[in-house]
Amino acid sequence: MAAEKTSPGLVEVEKTSPEVSGMGHRMKRKEDSRFLQGRGNYVDDVNLPHMVYGQMVRSPYAHARIKSINTEAAKKLPGVLAIITGEDLAKANLAWMPTLFFDKQMVLATGKVLFQAQEVAFVVAEDRYIAADAAELVEVEYEELPVLVDPYKATDPASPILREDREEKSNHIFHWEVGDKAATDKAFADAAVKSKVHAISQRCHPAPLETCGCVADYNKATERFTIYLTSQAPHAHRTLFALVAGLPEQNIRVVSPDIGGGFGNKVPIYPGYVCAVVASLTLGVPVKWIETRSENLQSTGFARDYHMTAELAADKDGKIKAMRVKTLADHGAFNAAAQPTKFPAGLFSVCTGSYDYPAAFCEVDGVYTNKAPGGIAYRCSFRITEAAYLIERAVDVLALDLKMDPAELRRKNFIQPEKFPYATPLGWTYDSGNYEGALNKALEMVGYKELRKEQEEKRKKGELMGIGISSFTEAVGAGPAHAFDIAGIKMFDSAEIRIHPTGKAICRMGTKSQGQGHETTYAQIVAQELGIPAKDVIIEEGDTDTAPYGLGTYASRSTPTSGAATAMAARKIRDKARKIAAFLLEASEEDLIWEPGKFSVKGAPGKAKTIQEIAFAAYTNIPPGLEAGLEAINYYDPPNLTFPFGTYISVVDIDKGTGEVKVRKFVAVDDCGNVINPMIVEGQIHGGLTEGLAIAFMQEIGYDENGNVSGGTFMDYLVPTAVETPHWDTGLTCTPSPHHPFGAKGVGESPNVGSPAAFVNSVVDALSHLGVKHIDMPITPWKVWNILKDKGLTG
Amino acid sequence: MAVTIEKTFRVGEPADKVWAILSDPKKVALCVPGAQITEQVDDKTYKGAIKVKVGPSVTDFKGEVQVVRLDEHAHEIEILGKGQDVRGKGSASMKMTGKLRNVDGGTEVVSTSELNVVGILAQMGARVITEVSNIMFEQFVNNFKKQLQSPEEMNAEAAKPISGVGLAFSALKASFSRHDDKSDSSAESDSGKK
Repeated sequence: MAAEKTSPGLVEVEKTSPEVSGMGHRMKRKEDSRFLQGRGNYVDDVNLPHMVYGQMVRSPYAHARIKSINTEAAKKLPGVLAIITGEDLAKANLAWMPTLFFDKQMVLATGKVLFQAQEVAFVVAEDRYIAADAAELVEVEYEELPVLVDPYKATDPASPILREDREEKSNHIFHWEVGDKAATDKAFADAAVKSKVHAISQRCHPAPLETCGCVADYNKATERFTIYLTSQAPHAHRTLFALVAGLPEQNIRVVSPDIGGGFGNKVPIYPGYVCAVVASLTLGVPVKWIETRSENLQSTGFARDYHMTAELAADKDGKIKAMRVKTLADHGAFNAAAQPTKFPAGLFSVCTGSYDYPAAFCEVDGVYTNKAPGGIAYRCSFRITEAAYLIERAVDVLALDLKMDPAELRRKNFIQPEKFPYATPLGWTYDSGNYEGALNKALEMVGYKELRKEQEEKRKKGELMGIGISSFTEAVGAGPAHAFDIAGIKMFDSAEIRIHPTGKAICRMGTKSQGQGHETTYAQIVAQELGIPAKDVIIEEGDTDTAPYGLGTYASRSTPTSGAATAMAARKIRDKARKIAAFLLEASEEDLIWEPGKFSVKGAPGKAKTIQEIAFAAYTNIPPGLEAGLEAINYYDPPNLTFPFGTYISVVDIDKGTGEVKVRKFVAVDDCGNVINPMIVEGQIHGGLTEGLAIAFMQEIGYDENGNVSGGTFMDYLVPTAVETPHWDTGLTCTPSPHHPFGAKGVGESPNVGSPAAFVNSVVDALSHLGVKHIDMPITPWKVWNILKDKGLTG
Repeated sequence: MAVTIEKTFRVGEPADKVWAILSDPKKVALCVPGAQITEQVDDKTYKGAIKVKVGPSVTDFKGEVQVVRLDEHAHEIEILGKGQDVRGKGSASMKMTGKLRNVDGGTEVVSTSELNVVGILAQMGARVITEVSNIMFEQFVNNFKKQLQSPEEMNAEAAKPISGVGLAFSALKASFSRHDDKSDSSAESDSGKK
């Protein structure tokens, strides 16, 4: 897919030779040879001498008082080394730990349990089998309490108060509002057309291929702790361990080896990690704890669970005047939302979308229920998926109310390219955009006019076909340090580049790949900036003893932050290389011309020194007055977020007999600014669209009225395979970010953020002539079949 | 998780003889695979236990059974059972109504059970719970018939937990094949509703 430059003159990137493979080259991923040969090194591959195993005892109840825990039978099982309960942790003041968002959560339950599968006791044994058997023998006596599942009943006086530990005796966590209420209400009062949709972004789970786990290794002799951890943010976790457990930070080393997918699920600190650390500290041997699939789905960070109402006010020609949003957020038992903004609803206020209107008002209320804690940003920046889904659904409902074509309605309201940087009514400043460019390209790729004609003919024959558009805007790359932090640590990120005497390099970053291809893309940035072939650059992340401090990888932030830091560090190296080259060529620095890989003397092209020759000189022939070596480090604090965007179009056919929705065609046009590796971008888009498909059609972590999890195994929580996944047609436009060193924006999350609305819009479009305006996700065949049955169409 | 299970089966014996068993919780318990009555509290209340092993999960419910309604004339009984797993893995409650009807050549037993399960068993979902109930019911019917024909033999048999691996496997098999495999007994009908 070749990118069309739609906004020339922003940040141009000159293409290097294939040998160098800088930005824009479809270089094969360097890490893949190890992954494809089964030679990856994941946390569960870490096996240390004398290592023992932990197993969690979990609550079967969603809400119950713990009357007693009897560990006698379990302790008698040969091979059992220790059993830790909440009471034991309480003695060390570790029964509770802070969450990432101004709340606390139980490590092991004391007093009562608040969700099914909550951690109650931690069994340590010589092997995994003994640990699992012993966990079965731990006898916990519970007294069942009334269960609160429905977030709408959280503030009912009749509902039980869940959090006895809080001073405030209420299930209400926060009320947050942003925008100009008076102006918005006035715009609604004056509006010719008012449109409304209630849409639920259902509770779902990233379900990474590798579940969470750790090996905690305390060495009594050195007093050092090495924690091998499934962590998207190793440095932040090291500091949190130091702060929470009171361990000296120099004695903690967090190592994130290969990570099998994170998607936000591996940002929080989980009770299992803390228990393994406590157990290793107590026993003096390494303790491994690895979750099962069900434990991962039932107890670790879920995503979404936003119950949203959006209203749009417009004139009769379809010009949007204002947006009003009211949302109820179900946070489960603890507010463990893993997000570093100052706002309780994260970046949800980008819900005004890609459209230009002056007034908006958004309010969010968060509540506790008897469900697992979380609220992580699943492949998105802190509630962006919810926001993008809401506005793109609302625009389609407005188009239906106005009887306007949804593409035309979008075109009419887009923020125009010359208006950037654009200040949104809810306080964000979009960096750059050309929304119509992406829409036009997508409409052309999908053959929109022909499809509408086909739809008209099919409707006459009683066949069901729909076309759904989503023209989303994402906000990624957290973030500007003034607006984003984790426990006070500002959200910069880092890169350190060391050039070896032979001109090869090693770079270390504060981010951490979970499969995004960092080992390739960062190397390509170095190649682009220094002309050292990407294959000669090793990328290392995840070891807090060696990597520079950073906040980790999520929120599509690696390219906007560490990617930028890599370019900035490389440019420092280039500055020093220029000095060395001037010395070697006996020319003045001003007379040197840089082209990727070498400095030559102006007017004498034969007189040149390659970066490899300069590197060698940095260690062997050091210019007087200059330090030896060729390395640099940069901590990059982006001036703003970046705002990737795109238009996705889904085309579906519906089987009237079964209610099955078949995605016939899907076009994704993305604009993530300048591209580092087009093949990796395509791969990211394919993966994200597949996850979006799963959310739209298959996945939900549901709860019954007793708080039993109904999506707690892969038998109920469905993961799309090649059979369910349609072909993805991808395309790019290119509107570089004006504030990023090489004009990139980040892309990993766009497909997951933008696609659910496209899928849902296409199904609703197929049924809109029957009076259907909205269907909540997941749109299962059963749901569709029931709608068709209601309409008398099942035959 | 609530599941309603309706079952009907026929036996060759007259209603009075069938009622003699159905109206006595101690005798009924003998027919339920894995169940035991351990103590009679009063004329309507009993203490009991039932062990169910589904796959890797053994649940050992201990609780109370109460006869809520006993209509000798209409041959109707309503029983309420409640129990908790002894190791704290969950709880279950059940409201069962049984009704007898005279039919040609014998008696029809109609039972409706509203089962509410909390905990690990519940997570397995209605599809497994329903199938496990189907298998348990099949064994129950066999035991019930045996009880009618040779009660002495039944009473001598100690209550055993129903077979673990076998049960999980048959439940799984049944949940995959339930749509086309209805041939087990023409006199029985079942419907599991979530």
